[in-house]
Amino acid sequence: MKIALVQTSPVLQDIEKNFSIHLRFIDKAIQNNIDLIIFPELSLTGYTLRDLVPETAIIPEKNKWFDQFKMISRDISIVLGFVEEREKGNYFNSAAYFSKGNLLHIHRKVFLPTYGMFEEAKFFSQGKKFSVFQTPFGKTGLLICYDFLNYGADYALFSQGADIIIVLSAAPGRGMGEKSGYSSSHMWELMGETVSRFSTVFLIYCNRVGYEDGKSFAGGSFIFNPEGELLAKASSVDEDFLVSTLDMNELRNARQKLFYKRDNKPEVILRSLNKVIFENED
Amino acid sequence: MKINPSFVKKLLVKFIKEELEKFNFQKAVVGLSGGLDSSVTSCLCQKALGAQNVLALVLPYGDRFAKDVQDAENVIKALGIRSKKINIQPMVDVYYSQHPTNNKILKGNKMARERMSILYDFSSREKAMVIGTSNKTELLLGYGTIHGDMASGINPIGDLYKTQVRELGKHLNVPPEIIRKSPSAGFWPGQTDEKEIGIDYEKIDQILYQIVDLRKPKKEVLSLGFSEKTVNKVVAMIKKSEFKRKLPPIPKISTRTVGHDFLFPYDWGK
Repeated sequence: MKIALVQTSPVLQDIEKNFSIHLRFIDKAIQNNIDLIIFPELSLTGYTLRDLVPETAIIPEKNKWFDQFKMISRDISIVLGFVEEREKGNYFNSAAYFSKGNLLHIHRKVFLPTYGMFEEAKFFSQGKKFSVFQTPFGKTGLLICYDFLNYGADYALFSQGADIIIVLSAAPGRGMGEKSGYSSSHMWELMGETVSRFSTVFLIYCNRVGYEDGKSFAGGSFIFNPEGELLAKASSVDEDFLVSTLDMNELRNARQKLFYKRDNKPEVILRSLNKVIFENED
Repeated sequence: MKINPSFVKKLLVKFIKEELEKFNFQKAVVGLSGGLDSSVTSCLCQKALGAQNVLALVLPYGDRFAKDVQDAENVIKALGIRSKKINIQPMVDVYYSQHPTNNKILKGNKMARERMSILYDFSSREKAMVIGTSNKTELLLGYGTIHGDMASGINPIGDLYKTQVRELGKHLNVPPEIIRKSPSAGFWPGQTDEKEIGIDYEKIDQILYQIVDLRKPKKEVLSLGFSEKTVNKVVAMIKKSEFKRKLPPIPKISTRTVGHDFLFPYDWGK
């Protein structure tokens, strides 16, 4: 299975322009025999939307761009980020998976960072679930940016039998040191290595680049195999088109050595969690 | 506090390039004093936009700062950027001939705003964006003139402390005499920031880094060996100058108000 990660910079608010950017990369991917192309978080709209959220929102069932993505997905599977409107006036930071002519799955971001430089929960509603769905390449789960940094979210996908976890991200770089690159980039790779190995899954992280209101998105997209080995890594800060081939046999190989999946005990974990939810008031 | 100068250079050059593209500018105009911050900023602009797209304005008050003007001219020559020298003394003196004062701070602020007014005039004439030269140390201490040198379209070095700008300057091959020069607001000959504030930049930046970047409480900052008087002075300067880092408050009366809940990105549609 051949995949491509598009580490790009959308135009804030301009869906028409971003749609054509998507088409350009999809064409390139089709020419390169890519099976699955992945775009970053909010790739159709840009990230720092604030009060632009309502006017950039899409209702997936009746949207001309989504109709086109569905059609194109007969030739290539597509994952992208967008603003979703539900129940007239409820807006989500969402990710869509198109495949074989269908909109296969939508994930709504659950963990909305709202601290320091982030203010997502002011503008978005919170998603309520993490679910795995069947794709032509295996059981897949989607996460958006800060979702991924909550290991409960990763565990939920792992316990549902995920083979592939795809993270769409718009992570600004922050923190400097003597080494080249942002110090925050290390945090994402640390999580990528950990989650891929301890869930024996392919972990695909697609981050964006470019500046918005002075925030510099740090790029550094990556792919880890089910044993926690780095398969590919994009440049930091610069645009990139990262192509990699996933050998799905590696899932079986990994799980013959690493037994976390076989030995998982979700019922025990759930009992412990219930205790937290029902017994602890604070 | 250490930086990787080559990575920082890459980030800032990319920033200048992207911001000007977004806002449809090809050219930049920078007020070049012959000091470190404006030399570094001019150099970053040259790398981002090309020498022919950078206009350095050298804006001395009479011939009181001849050495700085000479340094500025050396930078211009080394970078191959366009330049113009305008003496601001006639404009400033006309005003003070009618409203005399001996207050050097008043006069210095007036000069800073005169320069701002010329920079923005050339911004219009040349369709060039005004590039700020305020570093993080002076932004935090409020050691700058509001609507004067603090006014700009974008401010590339605003997240670098003075000592970090110096590291970047070395990497960019800014002439050594500029790197070594005592930083000065240039309000009067012989004025230096460190004399006026009473603390040297190494110390100020260390203290700011502890308080701002690492969010250390005062007690812990003191345990690093800084005197209480020094730390108090730095904290007081930060607090006193918040107004220089914000748009002025607007009393909220309507349901949607500029500065309160009319919340659009700066890069709206870019």
